[in-house]
Amino acid sequence: MYKLIEFIRRIYVVLLFLMIEGVALYAYAHSTYYTQAKIIAHTNSIVGGLQNSIFGVKHYFTLRSENEMLAQRVADLETQVEFLREQQAASADSVAYEQMDSLTAQGLVQYRHMAARIISNTTNRTRNFITLNKGTMHGVIPNMGVITPDGVMVGFVAACSNRYSVVKSILNTDFRTSGKIVGDERIGSIAWSGKSPYRVEMNNLSIYAEIEVGDEVISSGVSQYFPPDMKVRIGYVESYKRNDSQTANDVVIRLATDLAKVSNVILIENYDYNEVTELESAVQNGSYSTGGAVTPY
Amino acid sequence: MQRYLSYIGMFIGVVLLQIFLLDNISLGIYFHPLIYVAFVIILPLDMRPVWVLLLSAVLGLTMDMMTGMCGLNVIATTATGFARSLIIGFTSGLNTGVDDTIPALYRLPQKNLLTYIIMMILLHSAIYFIMESLSMAHLFHTLLRVIVSDVFSVIIVWYIVKLFIEKILNK
Repeated sequence: MYKLIEFIRRIYVVLLFLMIEGVALYAYAHSTYYTQAKIIAHTNSIVGGLQNSIFGVKHYFTLRSENEMLAQRVADLETQVEFLREQQAASADSVAYEQMDSLTAQGLVQYRHMAARIISNTTNRTRNFITLNKGTMHGVIPNMGVITPDGVMVGFVAACSNRYSVVKSILNTDFRTSGKIVGDERIGSIAWSGKSPYRVEMNNLSIYAEIEVGDEVISSGVSQYFPPDMKVRIGYVESYKRNDSQTANDVVIRLATDLAKVSNVILIENYDYNEVTELESAVQNGSYSTGGAVTPY
Repeated sequence: MQRYLSYIGMFIGVVLLQIFLLDNISLGIYFHPLIYVAFVIILPLDMRPVWVLLLSAVLGLTMDMMTGMCGLNVIATTATGFARSLIIGFTSGLNTGVDDTIPALYRLPQKNLLTYIIMMILLHSAIYFIMESLSMAHLFHTLLRVIVSDVFSVIIVWYIVKLFIEKILNK
């Protein structure tokens, strides 16, 4: 017994080391992007304020170009609103815009937009997240799509705290989305390989897709994060080649924006997101039968 | 007492420097200097290993909480803290003194101090980047990240250590 205690006394530092590493490895192995985002969202209540003020200074220097871009965007939107208003007025069952809220309640309006400012943004990790200055109290909820004011894909909201939210950036090796070449309906799956913050890869694009270097790549429209008719830009084809099995094309896409320089974003909420995903998972779990309602779980 | 306060100050200093300055510099995927390990480097060389281990774990945990990494910083920092005594033995062994005692940080010759800093940073960032990518497919790419980031880390940590020895320890 004495010898055992003596032995443990001699190697307790090693034991302690193994124990700490074991716990840390377990935590790391069981962490998902979601737990990571949750931690950031929580600690941001402390760190966020400071990050916010530091970013305020940085933000000041890019105000001019941003203002110009926003003004342009506002002008574009005004035109669209005007066009839609005319269309609405012309149609027989025209509804006044003051009734927008009731339309939303009835499920006739599917998407809602909101502006937010980036207060912290990394691009030099393999799993990058962006922190925004708006949280649940401003109406942000997880799974909102995120784009730049000029319509380039940024990511989607992974977690929210009261005043801040964390976006899983397109520069995150866990991020997956689908995209297509403008003018072609065939869809490829887009992911970041973690190599360059200026490029993402599109795999499994049909070999019949018409593709040329410089072609614009946009969101596929089947995503639940972005409106189908919105054409969220992703980037431009930089190069492409057949994959090893010669069955599809692998495309390298140069991103349409330098994510490190973005400081304002627009959030898009899909009111139907939960309904669609619940229905999909119900079908996948086999708890949905045709003709019947979704079985509550 | 003042000595403890200066170490606490260094702890807070390197954590803030890492989070608010270096993590906010975006110069591409290869540039990610991890300088907070400077705190483990400046701990007294003759400190008991169990304390070094515990303080490294606390430092790693703090960084994890601040950056949402769920254990990655603890893994890298604790391993570095654990290997520290071996690295110190190796670097001070390069310059065999008259007795076998470990010299204080400020008594290490410049060359040995630099070797010590390089080995600590290299070990820490190698574990960090390999665990972060968790893929052998990008091994070359990970090695490049370690090398590029470490060149900057070593330069920054060298000045932090110098500043600590000269201005705070007044040696």
